Amino acid sequence: MALGRGNWWRPYRQLDNVSVTLVDLVPSEVNEQAAWQWLDDDERARARRFQHAGARRRYVLCRASLRSLLSSALNCRNQHLAFGAGEHGKPSATVNGHQTSVEFNVSHSGQHGLIALAPRRRVGVDVEERVPQRNLDVLVEAVLGPSERAEVNAVTRDRRLHLFLDLWTTKEALSKAHGMGLSLDVSGFEIPATMRNGSRRGVFRFPDMPDMAWQVENIGSDQFAAAIAYERDRRCQPLDSFGDVFPGVWSPGDWD
Amino acid sequence: MSSTEDRIRALVDENLQIEGRDKGQPVSHSVSIIDAGVSSADIVAFWRLVCEEFGIDIPAEEFAELLTPSDLIAYLEARAG
Repeated sequence: MALGRGNWWRPYRQLDNVSVTLVDLVPSEVNEQAAWQWLDDDERARARRFQHAGARRRYVLCRASLRSLLSSALNCRNQHLAFGAGEHGKPSATVNGHQTSVEFNVSHSGQHGLIALAPRRRVGVDVEERVPQRNLDVLVEAVLGPSERAEVNAVTRDRRLHLFLDLWTTKEALSKAHGMGLSLDVSGFEIPATMRNGSRRGVFRFPDMPDMAWQVENIGSDQFAAAIAYERDRRCQPLDSFGDVFPGVWSPGDWD
Repeated sequence: MSSTEDRIRALVDENLQIEGRDKGQPVSHSVSIIDAGVSSADIVAFWRLVCEEFGIDIPAEEFAELLTPSDLIAYLEARAG
């Protein structure tokens, strides 16, 4: 992936009016220095709390990318953009203190980050690099429902990890879209059977929210498992009414 | 019997991949495991292993608020009475 200065992200998927951006998190001093300039004081303080350079890099590069995407989508200046958090810690954005109309969600793992933007509907995204999990048996028991466990335990060892990560990222995307994140016990629901049988898209309803339908999609690759979930029922403005979400070449000076 | 702190330290050492830290190195009790770069999958596995080790059930919603070793140790000691 050839990314120029200040461009370490690129469009990855467009689903209905929900956009997903892929963020390149490969170590790059140039990108990290540029990204650092775009963060506010609170974000820099948070970045300093990360104990290891890798975790700090992923946060800084993803947050700067998010700032660029939101500033463009909301047609606002970077310094007018601020972030807060909901009851269970789900981040939200404000412009000049006012809640924005664009929902977003961010996930990163290893050298890949994903940012989802969705106007006027809740969205969750998750990515996990396809690397061995030291506690795979524990995870299978902890996060999968009975049918999912049976299916994962019936396949070969290599296929088992692949299948588990697909299910896990889909559940994570749903729990993040729901707003509860890690607070939600995801073993209490199962991914739609159509997706477990190979379809990349499905419709899901939480047991405690039967009136709300969520669109879920497997957006993973050979390198990483990934999924997105977003509200299906709300009528939304087209995303392009919020501006160009994917500026071509961009630098901090464009919006400072 | 080992102290709660020793048992948590052992679980962290065996099960959490903290970037830049070799096995056996001390873990800061005041730093969130999220800020230490631990993945969400590892956090969920750690949650279940803590429940097994201490023979209790910690609701997911409560565990999500216990992401520093010091908070978790205080919670477990309070539960033990």
